[in-house]
Amino acid sequence: MSDLQIASVTKHFGETSVLKGVTLDVKDGEFISLVGPSGCGKSTLLRIIAGLETPTSGNIAIGGINVTQLRAADRNLSMVFQSYALYPHLTVAENIAVPLQMRQMSALQRLPVLGSIVPGARTQKDDIAQAVRHAAEMLEIAALLDRKPGQLSGGQRQRVALGRALVRDPAAFLLDEPLSNLDAKLRVQTRAEIAELHRRLKATFIYVTHDQVEAMTMSDRIAVMMGGEILQCAAPDVIYEDPDDIRVAEFIGSPKINILPVERNGTALTVFDQVLNSRLSIDSPKVMQMGLRPEALQLTQSAPRLTGRVVHLENLGSEVFAQIALDSDGSRVTLRAMPEQRQNLGLGAPVGLSFDLNAAMIFDAGGARLRQVELAATRAAEVA
Amino acid sequence: MVAIDPSLAADVTKPKADNRQARTGWGLAAPALILMFLILLVPIIAAGVLSFTNYSLGNPSFDWVGLQNYERLFTRSTYEKMYVATFTYVVTVVPISVGLGLGAALLVHSLGRIGDIYKTIYFLPVMATLLAMAIAWEFMLHPTIGMVNRTLEMACGTWFEVIPFFADGCAEGFPLWLGDRDYAIWVVCFIGIWQGFGFNMVLFLAGLTSVHRELYHAAEMDGARSGWERFRLVTWPALGPTTVFVVTISCIRAFQVFDTIEAFWPQGGGPNKSAYVMMFAIFEKGIQQNLIGIGSAITMLFLLFVMFLTLIQRWLVERKVHY
Repeated sequence: MSDLQIASVTKHFGETSVLKGVTLDVKDGEFISLVGPSGCGKSTLLRIIAGLETPTSGNIAIGGINVTQLRAADRNLSMVFQSYALYPHLTVAENIAVPLQMRQMSALQRLPVLGSIVPGARTQKDDIAQAVRHAAEMLEIAALLDRKPGQLSGGQRQRVALGRALVRDPAAFLLDEPLSNLDAKLRVQTRAEIAELHRRLKATFIYVTHDQVEAMTMSDRIAVMMGGEILQCAAPDVIYEDPDDIRVAEFIGSPKINILPVERNGTALTVFDQVLNSRLSIDSPKVMQMGLRPEALQLTQSAPRLTGRVVHLENLGSEVFAQIALDSDGSRVTLRAMPEQRQNLGLGAPVGLSFDLNAAMIFDAGGARLRQVELAATRAAEVA
Repeated sequence: MVAIDPSLAADVTKPKADNRQARTGWGLAAPALILMFLILLVPIIAAGVLSFTNYSLGNPSFDWVGLQNYERLFTRSTYEKMYVATFTYVVTVVPISVGLGLGAALLVHSLGRIGDIYKTIYFLPVMATLLAMAIAWEFMLHPTIGMVNRTLEMACGTWFEVIPFFADGCAEGFPLWLGDRDYAIWVVCFIGIWQGFGFNMVLFLAGLTSVHRELYHAAEMDGARSGWERFRLVTWPALGPTTVFVVTISCIRAFQVFDTIEAFWPQGGGPNKSAYVMMFAIFEKGIQQNLIGIGSAITMLFLLFVMFLTLIQRWLVERKVHY
């Protein structure tokens, strides 16, 4: 177990640049998720950490030692692949034993028949069998040890792949979308199990996923990647509540955050020509965007800031998501309502919405967060 | 009491419907079954029956000779030479052409676009008819004016003569190749390998494309440092089914070798019958000498070998290499 530093790593495939200078420090025992849409470079970054790809520039250090030039087999990392990549001709036990055999036994000892005559092979084999049994028991797959991967279900294969990763004591675990081939129910269950495994092993985990729910539920920190860069790396609640970039705000959170166009008229902050407050400094930009989470919007009858009509309803039982087409420009916003408010949300019903300016996030036209503007706006609101 | 139990009524009509359906089914399958029987099975059965006779084509009748034909196959020295030649060929050509095919496939597979050029070149001998190529080889291997011996003669007078083969060759002349009973079968083997390994390479290449790339990455992560370890852990097991198939096909092709022998020695299967392979024996006895009985007996023996090989293949595929 050790910490891991990624220092301004870039990667080009011919003309296309997949990683544009990624820097990330992972602390010992931390669970970090690399999350982002497909093609953002998160898998490439993981493979560079693993040593399966070489970076065009930049460095990778594990436990303070630069491993950039070291090959994957010598980096002492374990990886769980999306396809699990189990050896189809080996039984579960043999699959899990492979990393130990490859590292602990000499080439001579691994020979099929002769190997068992080589001195020390017997005890080595017993030790490995012991370790395999231990790993299998931890993952509750001890009953499957004699089967071949072809006879296992997706979830079982996934566990075997995990077993193969944790049977030795690696510096860090790298997981490449390990849950994406599982069905929804199993995914939820395995999610919890992996998080628990992390707590138990206290090992460094780097987890690649495109699923923000997995990232939110399991990680200590989330690194949101887009277009070959890390936009923000922070704890899940910070990523959700206090994103640095509009792309982070849009990517994290389901349903998606509502984005409304806001403008500065003189010192006034306006949305659809309605003044929200008038204490902005003159040097803040004229055109801005405001992000409002669905739960930041409230139904209101008196003096609504926004009005519109319900166009779509999603009742999840514990909560209701309503899509509302705004009267002002026809754009849609999503509102989270409580089930008891459902009677007010018939399809086509006119609704009024209000929101607390404290919950609003303001971004500039390019998507960068404008905390100064927010601060001015909320202070003004309080005074008002 | 008027109502009839519907299940009873159904019981009466159902067998009739079943019968009709079965009859239609047989009727529809009949042409295929008859053709299969006539075209595929009857000739083999006929050969089997004829192998117990002394029939010759054109004779009005024949006598049953029992196992006499088979007895000859196992007693006469000609047939002993046939077995020696056939098995020498099979045992030499199969492992070497499979090994070379695998090696070439691995090398070509590791290349990018240049691989296609290699693929084409290695496959050329497969595409060229062996009969035509045999004529080219015959010229090259001609003892006095052939390219091979002339090239070897160039080594005379140089340090190559340290090697006994060259020393002898320069002193007493290089081998006659096709005319030398010690070399004839090996030349045939060489041409068989030269011609066959490209085909095996193509089969192995097809097998290699099905190996999951992530398995190599997994092997690397698991600590397989050398190419050999990755080959042992990933490639070789993944190629198991392909290998069994390639070996079987190569064996059958090797048992069937005929055209080279026929092109080189139309009159007798090599010097002192040293290249008298089974297929040539069938041809010589059954067609040239019109001894249908003995020809059929060799054919049956040949079928037995091939059948045996196929059974081994099936057993291996089901037991050992199928995951």
